[in-house]
Amino acid sequence: MILTRRQTLLTGAAAFAAATLPARAARPEYRLHPQEIASGVWLFEGATESFDPKNGGAICNIVMLASHEGAIVIDTGGTARQGAALRAFADQRLGGVAASLNTHHHPDHWFGNQAFADRPIHALPRTRRAQSEDAQVLADGLYRILGSWMNGTTPRPASQDAVAGEMTIGGRELEILALSGHSQADLVVQDRQTGTLIAGDLLFLNRAPSFPDADIPTWASAITTIAQIPASGYVPGHGPYHRDSRAMGQTQHYLSAMDARLRGAANNGLTRIEAMAAGPMPDYAHLGANPQEYQRSVIQRWREYELRALPILGQAG
Amino acid sequence: MGSTLTYLLPGGQVGLAEFRGNAAVPESARTDPFDSGMWPDHRRDFLDDPQDWRHDPALLVLTPPNAEDPGHVPVLVDATALDGPVDRIVVSIDYSPLPKVLVFHPLRALPFLGFGVKYEIGSPLRASVRMADGSWRMGASFVDAAGGGCTAPAAAHSRPDWQQDLGQMRGRIWPAFGRLRLTLRHPMDTGLADGISAHHLTELTLADDAGPIARLEIFEPVEEDPGLTFLLPKGMTGPVRISARDNLGYQFNAEVSA
Ligand SMILES: [Zn+2]
Repeated sequence: MILTRRQTLLTGAAAFAAATLPARAARPEYRLHPQEIASGVWLFEGATESFDPKNGGAICNIVMLASHEGAIVIDTGGTARQGAALRAFADQRLGGVAASLNTHHHPDHWFGNQAFADRPIHALPRTRRAQSEDAQVLADGLYRILGSWMNGTTPRPASQDAVAGEMTIGGRELEILALSGHSQADLVVQDRQTGTLIAGDLLFLNRAPSFPDADIPTWASAITTIAQIPASGYVPGHGPYHRDSRAMGQTQHYLSAMDARLRGAANNGLTRIEAMAAGPMPDYAHLGANPQEYQRSVIQRWREYELRALPILGQAG
Repeated sequence: MGSTLTYLLPGGQVGLAEFRGNAAVPESARTDPFDSGMWPDHRRDFLDDPQDWRHDPALLVLTPPNAEDPGHVPVLVDATALDGPVDRIVVSIDYSPLPKVLVFHPLRALPFLGFGVKYEIGSPLRASVRMADGSWRMGASFVDAAGGGCTAPAAAHSRPDWQQDLGQMRGRIWPAFGRLRLTLRHPMDTGLADGISAHHLTELTLADDAGPIARLEIFEPVEEDPGLTFLLPKGMTGPVRISARDNLGYQFNAEVSA
Protein backbone atom coordinates (compact mmCIF):
# COMPACT_ATOMS: atom_id res chain seq x y z
CA MET A 1 0.00 0.00 0.00
CA ILE A 2 1.54 3.30 -1.06
CA LEU A 3 -0.24 6.40 0.11
CA THR A 4 0.05 9.76 -1.56
CA ARG A 5 -0.06 12.90 0.50
CA ARG A 6 -3.65 13.60 -0.44
CA GLN A 7 -4.81 10.07 0.33
CA THR A 8 -3.00 10.35 3.61
CA LEU A 9 -4.99 13.44 4.44
CA LEU A 10 -8.20 11.65 3.63
CA THR A 11 -7.52 8.33 5.32
CA GLY A 12 -5.02 8.87 8.13
CA ALA A 13 -6.27 12.21 9.30
CA ALA A 14 -9.89 11.20 9.05
CA ALA A 15 -9.36 7.90 10.84
CA PHE A 16 -7.58 9.35 13.85
CA ALA A 17 -8.17 13.04 14.07
CA ALA A 18 -11.91 13.19 13.42
CA ALA A 19 -12.89 12.85 17.04
CA THR A 20 -10.44 15.47 18.25
CA LEU A 21 -10.79 18.19 15.60
CA PRO A 22 -11.85 21.41 17.28
CA ALA A 23 -15.16 22.86 16.22
CA ARG A 24 -14.76 25.52 13.55
CA ALA A 25 -16.89 28.48 12.65
CA ALA A 26 -18.83 27.82 9.47
CA ARG A 27 -17.13 30.77 7.75
CA PRO A 28 -13.80 31.53 9.35
CA GLU A 29 -13.12 35.27 9.27
CA TYR A 30 -10.06 37.34 10.00
CA ARG A 31 -10.67 40.20 12.38
CA LEU A 32 -7.98 42.83 12.00
CA HIS A 33 -6.94 45.09 14.85
CA PRO A 34 -4.55 47.55 13.27
CA GLN A 35 -2.70 49.95 15.52
CA GLU A 36 -0.92 53.09 14.31
CA ILE A 37 2.33 52.72 16.24
CA ALA A 38 4.05 55.73 14.62
CA SER A 39 3.01 58.30 12.05
CA GLY A 40 1.76 56.35 9.04
CA VAL A 41 3.01 53.01 10.45
CA TRP A 42 0.23 50.47 10.95
CA LEU A 43 0.84 47.23 12.82
CA PHE A 44 -1.37 44.14 12.55
CA GLU A 45 -0.15 42.07 15.47
CA GLY A 46 -0.14 38.27 15.11
CA ALA A 47 -1.13 35.76 17.77
CA THR A 48 1.89 34.61 19.81
CA GLU A 49 1.08 30.96 19.19
CA SER A 50 1.80 28.23 16.65
CA PHE A 51 -0.34 27.70 13.56
CA ASP A 52 -3.74 26.64 14.81
CA PRO A 53 -7.31 26.63 13.50
CA LYS A 54 -8.09 28.97 16.40
CA ASN A 55 -5.88 31.70 14.93
CA GLY A 56 -6.29 30.91 11.24
CA GLY A 57 -2.53 31.09 10.80
CA ALA A 58 -2.51 34.83 11.57
CA ILE A 59 0.55 34.51 13.79
CA CYS A 60 3.12 36.94 12.42
CA ASN A 61 3.25 40.71 12.57
CA ILE A 62 2.32 42.64 9.46
CA VAL A 63 3.20 46.29 8.93
CA MET A 64 1.81 48.81 6.47
CA LEU A 65 3.54 52.12 5.83
CA ALA A 66 1.46 54.89 4.32
CA SER A 67 2.89 56.50 1.18
CA HIS A 68 1.40 58.81 -1.41
CA GLU A 69 1.05 55.88 -3.79
CA GLY A 70 -0.68 53.70 -1.20
CA ALA A 71 0.45 51.19 1.41
CA ILE A 72 3.90 49.62 1.54
CA VAL A 73 2.99 46.19 2.92
CA ILE A 74 5.65 44.33 4.89
CA ASP A 75 4.66 40.64 4.95
CA THR A 76 1.24 39.57 3.76
CA GLY A 77 -0.06 36.96 6.21
CA GLY A 78 -0.44 33.19 6.16
CA THR A 79 -3.44 32.54 3.88
CA ALA A 80 -5.13 34.00 0.80
CA ARG A 81 -8.05 35.16 2.92
CA GLN A 82 -5.85 36.89 5.46
CA GLY A 83 -4.11 38.60 2.55
CA ALA A 84 -7.49 39.67 1.17
CA ALA A 85 -8.55 41.14 4.52
CA LEU A 86 -5.30 43.08 4.71
CA ARG A 87 -5.73 44.27 1.13
CA ALA A 88 -9.19 45.57 1.93
CA PHE A 89 -7.75 47.68 4.75
CA ALA A 90 -5.05 49.08 2.44
CA ASP A 91 -7.59 49.90 -0.25
CA GLN A 92 -10.09 51.51 2.12
CA ARG A 93 -7.77 53.36 4.46
CA LEU A 94 -4.40 53.86 2.77
CA GLY A 95 -5.35 54.54 -0.83
CA GLY A 96 -4.46 51.14 -2.23
CA VAL A 97 -1.13 49.29 -2.36
CA ALA A 98 2.14 50.71 -3.66
CA ALA A 99 4.29 47.57 -3.16
CA SER A 100 4.87 44.69 -0.78
CA LEU A 101 7.95 43.11 0.78
CA ASN A 102 8.37 39.59 2.15
CA THR A 103 10.85 39.47 5.03
CA HIS A 104 11.65 35.75 4.51
CA HIS A 105 10.23 32.51 3.12
CA HIS A 106 8.31 31.08 6.09
CA PRO A 107 4.67 30.72 5.06
CA ASP A 108 3.03 32.79 7.80
CA HIS A 109 4.80 35.82 6.28
CA TRP A 110 3.90 35.51 2.59
CA PHE A 111 1.05 33.10 1.81
CA GLY A 112 -1.20 36.18 1.55
CA ASN A 113 0.79 37.42 -1.50
CA GLN A 114 -2.06 36.55 -3.87
CA ALA A 115 -4.03 39.57 -2.70
CA PHE A 116 -1.11 41.88 -3.55
CA ALA A 117 0.09 40.27 -6.78
CA ASP A 118 -1.12 43.14 -9.00
CA ARG A 119 1.62 45.33 -7.51
CA PRO A 120 5.37 44.60 -7.14
CA ILE A 121 6.31 42.16 -4.35
CA HIS A 122 9.95 42.38 -3.27
CA ALA A 123 12.04 39.78 -1.45
CA LEU A 124 15.72 38.90 -1.20
CA PRO A 125 16.86 36.58 -4.04
CA ARG A 126 17.39 33.58 -1.74
CA THR A 127 13.96 34.11 -0.23
CA ARG A 128 12.40 34.11 -3.70
CA ARG A 129 14.21 30.87 -4.54
CA ALA A 130 13.09 29.23 -1.29
CA GLN A 131 9.53 30.43 -1.87
CA SER A 132 9.47 28.66 -5.24
CA GLU A 133 11.17 25.49 -4.03
CA ASP A 134 9.29 24.97 -0.77
CA ALA A 135 5.83 26.32 -1.57
CA GLN A 136 4.18 22.97 -2.18
CA VAL A 137 5.47 21.26 0.95
CA LEU A 138 4.68 24.29 3.09
CA ALA A 139 1.18 24.55 1.62
CA ASP A 140 0.48 20.83 2.17
CA GLY A 141 1.45 21.23 5.81
CA LEU A 142 -0.72 24.29 6.32
CA TYR A 143 -3.77 22.83 4.61
CA ARG A 144 -3.51 19.99 7.05
CA ILE A 145 -3.22 22.20 10.12
CA LEU A 146 -5.50 25.09 9.19
CA GLY A 147 -8.12 23.33 7.08
CA SER A 148 -10.71 25.65 5.54
CA TRP A 149 -8.82 28.79 6.58
CA MET A 150 -6.43 27.88 3.75
CA ASN A 151 -9.11 27.55 1.08
CA GLY A 152 -8.10 29.24 -2.15
CA THR A 153 -4.50 29.75 -1.07
CA THR A 154 -2.00 29.27 -3.90
CA PRO A 155 1.44 30.43 -2.82
CA ARG A 156 2.72 33.28 -5.02
CA PRO A 157 6.46 33.91 -4.66
CA ALA A 158 7.68 37.51 -4.67
CA SER A 159 8.11 39.03 -8.14
CA GLN A 160 11.11 41.36 -7.62
CA ASP A 161 14.56 41.12 -6.08
CA ALA A 162 14.96 43.32 -3.04
CA VAL A 163 18.36 45.00 -2.80
CA ALA A 164 20.08 46.15 0.37
CA GLY A 165 20.34 49.92 0.75
CA GLU A 166 17.99 52.83 0.25
CA MET A 167 14.63 52.28 -1.37
CA THR A 168 12.00 54.95 -1.90
CA ILE A 169 8.40 54.00 -2.58
CA GLY A 170 5.67 56.60 -2.97
CA GLY A 171 7.93 59.18 -1.37
CA ARG A 172 8.52 57.04 1.72
CA GLU A 173 12.22 56.38 2.29
CA LEU A 174 13.23 52.97 3.55
CA GLU A 175 16.55 51.41 4.47
CA ILE A 176 16.72 47.73 3.51
CA LEU A 177 19.12 45.35 5.28
CA ALA A 178 19.93 41.91 3.90
CA LEU A 179 20.76 39.66 6.84
CA SER A 180 20.37 35.94 7.62
CA GLY A 181 20.38 33.44 10.47
CA HIS A 182 16.70 32.87 11.18
CA SER A 183 16.47 31.76 7.56
CA GLN A 184 18.91 31.82 4.65
CA ALA A 185 17.80 35.38 3.84
CA ASP A 186 16.19 37.74 6.35
CA LEU A 187 15.14 41.18 5.21
CA VAL A 188 14.97 44.01 7.74
CA VAL A 189 13.31 47.35 6.96
CA GLN A 190 13.78 50.68 8.67
CA ASP A 191 11.32 53.48 8.01
CA ARG A 192 13.39 56.69 7.72
CA GLN A 193 10.50 59.01 8.55
CA THR A 194 9.71 57.51 11.97
CA GLY A 195 12.81 55.44 12.75
CA THR A 196 10.66 52.31 13.16
CA LEU A 197 12.66 49.14 12.59
CA ILE A 198 10.75 46.14 11.22
CA ALA A 199 12.92 43.17 12.06
CA GLY A 200 11.06 40.17 10.61
CA ASP A 201 11.80 36.93 12.46
CA LEU A 202 15.30 37.97 13.50
CA LEU A 203 13.49 39.26 16.60
CA PHE A 204 10.87 37.47 18.70
CA LEU A 205 9.28 38.84 21.87
CA ASN A 206 7.31 36.73 24.38
CA ARG A 207 6.99 34.01 21.75
CA ALA A 208 9.44 31.11 21.38
CA PRO A 209 11.70 31.62 18.35
CA SER A 210 11.32 29.06 15.58
CA PHE A 211 14.32 27.19 14.19
CA PRO A 212 13.43 25.28 11.02
CA ASP A 213 16.17 27.03 9.02
CA ALA A 214 18.15 28.60 11.82
CA ASP A 215 21.89 29.04 11.99
CA ILE A 216 22.42 30.16 15.56
CA PRO A 217 25.79 31.98 15.29
CA THR A 218 24.70 33.81 12.11
CA TRP A 219 21.39 34.73 13.73
CA ALA A 220 23.15 36.04 16.84
CA SER A 221 25.45 38.24 14.76
CA ALA A 222 22.46 39.57 12.78
CA ILE A 223 20.93 40.71 16.07
CA THR A 224 24.21 42.40 16.96
CA THR A 225 23.99 44.27 13.64
CA ILE A 226 20.42 45.35 14.39
CA ALA A 227 21.42 46.50 17.86
CA GLN A 228 23.84 49.01 16.35
CA ILE A 229 21.12 50.79 14.38
CA PRO A 230 19.47 53.70 16.20
CA ALA A 231 15.71 53.13 16.09
CA SER A 232 12.61 54.69 17.64
CA GLY A 233 10.90 51.33 18.10
CA TYR A 234 10.96 47.71 16.99
CA VAL A 235 8.43 45.45 15.34
CA PRO A 236 9.56 41.84 15.92
CA GLY A 237 8.36 39.08 13.60
CA HIS A 238 6.25 37.76 16.47
CA GLY A 239 5.30 39.64 19.63
CA PRO A 240 4.40 43.19 20.61
CA TYR A 241 5.82 46.47 19.29
CA HIS A 242 8.23 47.97 21.81
CA ARG A 243 10.71 50.84 22.08
CA ASP A 244 13.58 49.25 24.00
CA SER A 245 16.11 46.41 23.61
CA ARG A 246 13.82 43.73 25.08
CA ALA A 247 13.38 41.59 21.95
CA MET A 248 17.06 41.82 21.05
CA GLY A 249 18.01 40.67 24.54
CA GLN A 250 15.36 37.98 24.79
CA THR A 251 16.06 36.52 21.36
CA GLN A 252 19.83 36.54 21.93
CA HIS A 253 19.43 34.82 25.30
CA TYR A 254 17.01 32.26 23.93
CA LEU A 255 19.42 31.40 21.12
CA SER A 256 22.32 30.85 23.48
CA ALA A 257 20.17 28.95 26.00
CA MET A 258 18.85 26.67 23.25
CA ASP A 259 22.37 26.14 21.96
CA ALA A 260 23.62 25.26 25.46
CA ARG A 261 20.69 22.90 26.11
CA LEU A 262 21.14 20.94 22.89
CA ARG A 263 24.91 20.81 23.31
CA GLY A 264 24.50 19.61 26.90
CA ALA A 265 21.98 16.98 25.88
CA ALA A 266 24.12 15.61 23.06
CA ASN A 267 27.33 15.67 25.10
CA ASN A 268 25.73 13.80 28.01
CA GLY A 269 24.44 11.02 25.79
CA LEU A 270 20.75 11.91 25.88
CA THR A 271 18.59 10.68 23.04
CA ARG A 272 16.68 13.14 20.83
CA ILE A 273 13.38 12.21 22.42
CA GLU A 274 14.76 12.71 25.94
CA ALA A 275 16.02 16.16 24.96
CA MET A 276 12.56 16.87 23.59
CA ALA A 277 10.59 15.40 26.50
CA ALA A 278 12.67 17.37 29.02
CA GLY A 279 10.89 20.45 27.67
CA PRO A 280 12.13 23.98 27.14
CA MET A 281 14.62 25.81 29.31
CA PRO A 282 12.66 26.65 32.50
CA ASP A 283 13.18 30.41 32.05
CA TYR A 284 11.44 30.22 28.67
CA ALA A 285 8.72 27.66 29.29
CA HIS A 286 6.13 30.45 29.60
CA LEU A 287 6.81 31.93 26.16
CA GLY A 288 4.03 31.74 23.59
CA ALA A 289 4.12 28.60 21.40
CA ASN A 290 6.16 26.64 23.95
CA PRO A 291 6.65 23.73 24.57
CA GLN A 292 5.60 22.95 20.98
CA GLU A 293 8.16 25.27 19.39
CA TYR A 294 10.91 23.87 21.60
CA GLN A 295 9.93 20.33 20.61
CA ARG A 296 10.04 21.20 16.92
CA SER A 297 13.42 22.88 17.37
CA VAL A 298 14.93 19.73 18.91
CA ILE A 299 13.86 17.67 15.89
CA GLN A 300 15.07 20.30 13.45
CA ARG A 301 18.49 20.94 14.99
CA TRP A 302 19.43 17.68 16.77
CA ARG A 303 21.65 16.15 14.09
CA GLU A 304 24.11 19.06 14.08
CA TYR A 305 24.69 18.70 17.81
CA GLU A 306 24.94 14.95 17.67
CA LEU A 307 27.52 15.06 14.87
CA ARG A 308 29.72 17.26 17.05
CA ALA A 309 29.29 14.98 20.08
CA LEU A 310 30.10 11.70 18.31
CA PRO A 311 33.55 10.99 16.83
CA ILE A 312 33.94 8.92 13.69
CA LEU A 313 34.83 5.34 14.65
CA GLY A 314 37.66 3.30 13.24
CA GLN A 315 37.28 -0.14 11.73
CA ALA A 316 36.92 -3.04 14.12
CA GLY A 317 40.25 -4.80 14.56
CA MET B 1 12.17 4.13 38.00
CA GLY B 2 13.51 3.85 34.48
CA SER B 3 16.82 4.85 33.00
CA THR B 4 16.11 8.13 31.25
CA LEU B 5 18.55 11.02 31.62
CA THR B 6 16.08 13.89 31.28
CA TYR B 7 16.98 14.92 34.86
CA LEU B 8 20.36 16.08 33.58
CA LEU B 9 18.69 19.06 31.89
CA PRO B 10 17.29 21.82 34.14
CA GLY B 11 13.55 21.24 34.58
CA GLY B 12 13.86 17.97 32.71
CA GLN B 13 12.01 15.74 35.21
CA VAL B 14 9.00 18.04 35.33
CA GLY B 15 9.11 18.30 31.56
CA LEU B 16 9.16 14.52 31.19
CA ALA B 17 6.22 14.07 33.58
CA GLU B 18 4.15 16.57 31.60
CA PHE B 19 5.23 15.02 28.32
CA ARG B 20 4.16 11.55 29.48
CA GLY B 21 0.95 13.02 30.81
CA ASN B 22 -0.30 13.08 27.22
CA ALA B 23 0.08 9.30 26.84
CA ALA B 24 -3.03 7.15 26.40
CA VAL B 25 -3.93 4.92 29.34
CA PRO B 26 -5.79 1.68 28.56
CA GLU B 27 -9.08 1.03 30.36
CA SER B 28 -7.78 -2.35 31.37
CA ALA B 29 -4.52 -4.17 30.85
CA ARG B 30 -6.01 -6.17 27.97
CA THR B 31 -7.65 -3.37 25.99
CA ASP B 32 -6.05 -1.24 23.33
CA PRO B 33 -6.19 2.45 24.33
CA PHE B 34 -6.10 3.36 20.63
CA ASP B 35 -8.81 0.89 19.59
CA SER B 36 -6.74 0.12 16.51
CA GLY B 37 -7.90 -2.40 13.92
CA MET B 38 -4.39 -3.51 13.03
CA TRP B 39 -3.17 -4.39 16.50
CA PRO B 40 -4.77 -7.88 16.67
CA ASP B 41 -3.30 -8.65 13.21
CA HIS B 42 0.17 -7.52 14.20
CA ARG B 43 -0.03 -9.46 17.45
CA ARG B 44 -0.75 -12.55 15.38
CA ASP B 45 1.80 -11.87 12.62
CA PHE B 46 4.73 -10.40 14.53
CA LEU B 47 4.35 -11.98 17.98
CA ASP B 48 2.93 -15.43 17.17
CA ASP B 49 -0.44 -14.54 18.72
CA PRO B 50 0.47 -14.75 22.41
CA GLN B 51 -2.37 -15.33 24.87
CA ASP B 52 -0.52 -14.02 27.90
CA TRP B 53 -0.15 -10.28 27.24
CA ARG B 54 -1.00 -7.08 29.07
CA HIS B 55 -0.24 -3.39 29.13
CA ASP B 56 2.36 -2.45 31.70
CA PRO B 57 2.70 1.17 32.84
CA ALA B 58 6.31 0.43 33.89
CA LEU B 59 7.21 0.10 30.21
CA LEU B 60 8.20 3.52 28.90
CA VAL B 61 7.49 4.28 25.24
CA LEU B 62 8.34 7.86 24.35
CA THR B 63 7.50 9.46 21.01
CA PRO B 64 6.74 13.03 19.96
CA PRO B 65 3.04 13.91 19.62
CA ASN B 66 3.54 14.59 15.93
CA ALA B 67 6.10 13.84 13.25
CA GLU B 68 7.76 17.19 12.69
CA ASP B 69 10.08 15.34 10.29
CA PRO B 70 8.30 12.14 9.12
CA GLY B 71 11.63 10.64 8.04
CA HIS B 72 13.08 10.96 11.54
CA VAL B 73 10.61 10.36 14.35
CA PRO B 74 12.55 9.75 17.57
CA VAL B 75 11.53 6.89 19.86
CA LEU B 76 12.73 5.61 23.21
CA VAL B 77 11.72 2.23 24.61
CA ASP B 78 12.79 1.71 28.20
CA ALA B 79 11.87 -1.68 29.69
CA THR B 80 14.42 -1.52 32.51
CA ALA B 81 11.70 -0.96 35.13
CA LEU B 82 9.77 -4.14 34.27
CA ASP B 83 9.89 -6.88 36.90
CA GLY B 84 11.92 -9.70 35.44
CA PRO B 85 14.39 -10.32 32.64
CA VAL B 86 13.48 -9.37 29.08
CA ASP B 87 13.95 -11.73 26.16
CA ARG B 88 13.18 -9.41 23.25
CA ILE B 89 11.36 -6.25 22.21
CA VAL B 90 9.34 -6.02 18.99
CA VAL B 91 8.54 -2.54 17.68
CA SER B 92 5.72 -2.02 15.17
CA ILE B 93 3.65 0.83 13.75
CA ASP B 94 -0.06 0.00 13.37
CA TYR B 95 -0.86 2.07 10.30
CA SER B 96 2.17 2.05 8.09
CA PRO B 97 2.84 0.57 4.66
CA LEU B 98 5.77 -1.11 6.47
CA PRO B 99 4.53 -1.91 9.96
CA LYS B 100 7.43 -3.98 11.31
CA VAL B 101 10.24 -1.72 12.57
CA LEU B 102 12.74 -3.80 14.51
CA VAL B 103 13.30 -6.67 16.91
CA PHE B 104 15.72 -5.98 19.75
CA HIS B 105 17.44 -8.84 21.57
CA PRO B 106 19.10 -7.22 24.60
CA LEU B 107 21.15 -10.33 25.50
CA ARG B 108 23.69 -8.91 28.01
CA ALA B 109 22.68 -5.27 27.48
CA LEU B 110 19.77 -3.66 29.32
CA PRO B 111 16.30 -3.65 27.72
CA PHE B 112 16.57 -0.04 26.60
CA LEU B 113 16.75 1.31 23.04
CA GLY B 114 16.73 4.77 21.51
CA PHE B 115 16.17 4.95 17.74
CA GLY B 116 14.31 6.77 14.96
CA VAL B 117 11.55 5.67 12.59
CA LYS B 118 9.80 6.80 9.41
CA TYR B 119 6.12 7.64 9.52
CA GLU B 120 3.58 7.74 6.72
CA ILE B 121 0.32 8.48 8.52
CA GLY B 122 -0.85 9.09 12.06
CA SER B 123 -0.63 5.84 14.03
CA PRO B 124 0.22 4.25 17.34
CA LEU B 125 3.73 2.86 17.68
CA ARG B 126 3.94 -0.32 19.78
CA ALA B 127 6.68 -1.83 21.84
CA SER B 128 5.89 -5.46 22.70
CA VAL B 129 8.21 -6.94 25.27
CA ARG B 130 8.61 -10.69 25.60
CA MET B 131 9.67 -11.52 29.13
CA ALA B 132 11.97 -14.46 29.88
CA ASP B 133 8.95 -16.35 31.29
CA GLY B 134 7.19 -16.13 27.92
CA SER B 135 4.60 -13.51 28.87
CA TRP B 136 4.27 -10.24 26.92
CA ARG B 137 4.13 -6.63 28.15
CA MET B 138 2.82 -3.89 25.92
CA GLY B 139 3.36 -0.18 25.62
CA ALA B 140 2.29 2.26 22.91
CA SER B 141 2.38 5.91 21.95
CA PHE B 142 0.56 7.82 19.22
CA VAL B 143 2.35 9.92 16.60
CA ASP B 144 0.44 12.15 14.21
CA ALA B 145 2.03 12.42 10.78
CA ALA B 146 1.38 14.06 7.43
CA GLY B 147 3.01 11.53 5.12
CA GLY B 148 6.23 11.25 3.21
CA GLY B 149 8.26 9.26 5.73
CA CYS B 150 8.27 5.89 3.96
CA THR B 151 7.61 6.92 0.37
CA ALA B 152 10.08 9.79 -0.10
CA PRO B 153 13.52 9.03 -1.54
CA ALA B 154 16.38 9.02 0.97
CA ALA B 155 18.11 12.39 1.33
CA ALA B 156 21.36 10.59 0.45
CA HIS B 157 20.31 10.42 -3.20
CA SER B 158 20.51 14.19 -3.53
CA ARG B 159 24.31 13.83 -3.23
CA PRO B 160 26.00 12.12 -6.19
CA ASP B 161 28.79 10.83 -3.91
CA TRP B 162 26.57 9.40 -1.16
CA GLN B 163 28.06 5.93 -1.52
CA GLN B 164 31.48 7.22 -0.40
CA ASP B 165 30.51 7.36 3.25
CA LEU B 166 28.03 4.48 3.18
CA GLY B 167 28.43 2.63 6.45
CA GLN B 168 30.48 5.33 8.16
CA MET B 169 29.91 5.01 11.89
CA ARG B 170 30.14 7.54 14.68
CA GLY B 171 29.82 6.61 18.31
CA ARG B 172 30.67 7.17 21.92
CA ILE B 173 30.37 5.39 25.27
CA TRP B 174 29.39 7.27 28.43
CA PRO B 175 30.60 4.93 31.22
CA ALA B 176 28.89 7.02 33.94
CA PHE B 177 25.51 6.26 32.41
CA GLY B 178 26.35 2.96 30.71
CA ARG B 179 25.25 4.40 27.40
CA LEU B 180 26.49 3.66 23.92
CA ARG B 181 25.28 5.93 21.14
CA LEU B 182 26.09 5.21 17.52
CA THR B 183 25.05 6.51 14.13
CA LEU B 184 25.58 4.73 10.83
CA ARG B 185 25.40 6.30 7.38
CA HIS B 186 22.85 4.36 5.36
CA PRO B 187 20.05 5.45 2.98
CA MET B 188 17.59 2.91 4.42
CA ASP B 189 15.65 2.90 1.14
CA THR B 190 12.26 1.33 1.70
CA GLY B 191 11.66 0.40 -1.94
CA LEU B 192 8.51 2.55 -1.92
CA ALA B 193 10.06 5.66 -3.48
CA ASP B 194 9.77 5.91 -7.26
CA GLY B 195 12.73 4.39 -9.08
CA ILE B 196 14.74 3.42 -5.99
CA SER B 197 14.91 -0.21 -4.91
CA ALA B 198 15.02 -1.33 -1.31
CA HIS B 199 18.41 -0.93 0.33
CA HIS B 200 18.32 -1.15 4.09
CA LEU B 201 20.15 -2.55 7.08
CA THR B 202 18.95 -5.95 8.24
CA GLU B 203 21.06 -6.63 11.30
CA LEU B 204 23.35 -4.96 13.81
CA THR B 205 25.29 -6.62 16.61
CA LEU B 206 27.35 -5.31 19.54
CA ALA B 207 30.03 -7.67 20.85
CA ASP B 208 33.17 -7.84 22.93
CA ASP B 209 35.69 -10.59 23.62
CA ALA B 210 33.12 -12.42 25.75
CA GLY B 211 30.72 -12.62 22.79
CA PRO B 212 27.57 -10.81 21.65
CA ILE B 213 26.27 -8.01 23.88
CA ALA B 214 23.06 -7.14 22.02
CA ARG B 215 21.51 -7.84 18.64
CA LEU B 216 19.03 -5.94 16.47
CA GLU B 217 16.93 -7.16 13.55
CA ILE B 218 16.28 -4.06 11.45
CA PHE B 219 13.51 -3.42 8.91
CA GLU B 220 12.77 -0.69 6.35
CA PRO B 221 10.96 1.82 8.61
CA VAL B 222 14.08 2.57 10.66
CA GLU B 223 15.24 6.12 9.82
CA GLU B 224 17.87 7.04 7.24
CA ASP B 225 21.34 7.29 8.83
CA PRO B 226 20.08 5.43 11.88
CA GLY B 227 21.01 6.65 15.33
CA LEU B 228 20.85 4.02 18.10
CA THR B 229 21.29 4.27 21.86
CA PHE B 230 21.98 1.18 23.99
CA LEU B 231 22.53 0.62 27.71
CA LEU B 232 25.62 -1.54 28.18
CA PRO B 233 26.12 -3.94 31.07
CA LYS B 234 27.34 -2.09 34.18
CA GLY B 235 30.95 -0.97 34.12
CA MET B 236 31.59 -1.83 30.47
CA THR B 237 33.91 0.69 28.84
CA GLY B 238 34.78 -1.24 25.68
CA PRO B 239 36.18 -1.90 23.30
CA VAL B 240 32.77 -2.80 21.86
CA ARG B 241 32.72 -4.09 18.31
CA ILE B 242 29.79 -3.04 16.15
CA SER B 243 28.94 -5.07 13.07
CA ALA B 244 26.06 -4.52 10.70
CA ARG B 245 24.89 -5.85 7.37
CA ASP B 246 22.33 -4.83 4.79
CA ASN B 247 20.03 -6.55 2.30
CA LEU B 248 22.55 -6.10 -0.56
CA GLY B 249 25.26 -7.98 1.32
CA TYR B 250 27.35 -5.01 2.48
CA GLN B 251 29.04 -5.46 5.87
CA PHE B 252 29.99 -2.61 8.16
CA ASN B 253 32.31 -2.93 11.16
CA ALA B 254 33.63 -0.49 13.71
CA GLU B 255 34.90 -0.36 17.25
CA VAL B 256 34.16 2.03 20.10
CA SER B 257 35.75 2.52 23.53
CA ALA B 258 35.08 4.93 26.37
ZN1 LIG C 1 10.07 32.72 10.28
